[in-house]
Amino acid sequence: MAGVLIACGEVGFRETSVRAILERSGGHRAQFYQHFESKEDCFAQAYAVWIERLCVSLLEAAATTPGWEGGVREAIVRLFQFVTARPAIARALFVEVQIAGEPALARHEAAIERLAAAIDGVRADIDPALAPPEATGVFVVGGIESCVVEALGEGNLNRLWDALPELMHFVAGSYLGKEEAEGAFERASILLGRERARLTGAGEEVEER
Amino acid sequence: MTELRLIGGTALAEPEEVKAVPTLRLPPGRHGIPADLVRAHQRLRLLEAAATAVAEQGYGRITAARVTELAGVSSRTFYQHFEDLWACLLAAYETDAARLCEEIEAACAALVEERGPVAEADRRGRATVGIAAALGFLAAEPDVARLLSAEPPPQVAALSGARRDLIERLGALLREVLADPHGATPMPGLERRLIGAALALVSTRAANGDPQRLRDLEPELTELLLASL
Repeated sequence: MAGVLIACGEVGFRETSVRAILERSGGHRAQFYQHFESKEDCFAQAYAVWIERLCVSLLEAAATTPGWEGGVREAIVRLFQFVTARPAIARALFVEVQIAGEPALARHEAAIERLAAAIDGVRADIDPALAPPEATGVFVVGGIESCVVEALGEGNLNRLWDALPELMHFVAGSYLGKEEAEGAFERASILLGRERARLTGAGEEVEER
Repeated sequence: MTELRLIGGTALAEPEEVKAVPTLRLPPGRHGIPADLVRAHQRLRLLEAAATAVAEQGYGRITAARVTELAGVSSRTFYQHFEDLWACLLAAYETDAARLCEEIEAACAALVEERGPVAEADRRGRATVGIAAALGFLAAEPDVARLLSAEPPPQVAALSGARRDLIERLGALLREVLADPHGATPMPGLERRLIGAALALVSTRAANGDPQRLRDLEPELTELLLASL
């Protein structure tokens, strides 16, 4: 299943042929068409598996870390670790999905909604009078994804890690305002300064489960 | 000024002004219309068709043949204007990105002209007007909204570059608003995150195909973009 994502992540969805997928994953053309209607269908099925794994991994990272801010930061760290360890698959999940069309795109939207709903959990702690707009979850997840897409596009994943404090500022600011944003920025900067080697060194979490 | 009357009865002015006119087809056969006007009109139809084809087929399936068909020109005409499909999409992207930014700048300038120094100091007011202008523009042209907000294939470096340029330009407009008049500068990169998030939100709403959903986004998007003020 990873073959189609790696192929598309490396050379692009448009340029990937069924033959190129088979060269990576093995098997014959006839077998391919027994399982999949088309390249789009194959991509969508592989996409469904990998985006589910990634979502579960991110949600678990958040759920096992104390506090909302800590949970969000840990989930972003887990995301960055995945992107750093598997850039081709990450490119397929976040960039090529925009080109692969439906139904992979529908699964992408569903994943965004799911992560947005999780991150939105902080509303329970916010005074209703100060509640952020309804679209905040999707906005924030979209912003995090755009940061990943930008780093993948530039081919410079170090910049992804540099962006952690700025992303925490963006996420906390969107929900809790400027003061909390500055605190979240500071705490992420300290963590990155202290533990960058450990954070960037870890990696294959998503595949192992 | 040369004036061109189209089949649909719309008057078409010089090429510089052509961009605002809906792309109706020129009358067939001999019509005595100057060749440069015909070419300008063909190019506009191709640019509009490119946005429609992206909205209709996505970047994964789009072909030069479909753009040509939607524009109502021959394949030969297409290649007289553009080297290939990607050159056409790039021209469409750059043209529409410029139109979007001009729309925002014009709305902000009009506010300052109308209200003078008060509007100059009112950062939130200018931002609100600019965001409303952007969403109004995108809602009026849903295909353009899809074109500008969707992530293009990264293998087409020029197109990805055009998207980055748009994010930079919109980010610069936002930075101007976020900048503290008392000297504090907004955090480097924050405006890029905010614009990236806004485009993702617009892309989701535009994909839904209901322009009203884009207009409805205005109060929420304004609040989200200005949360750091």
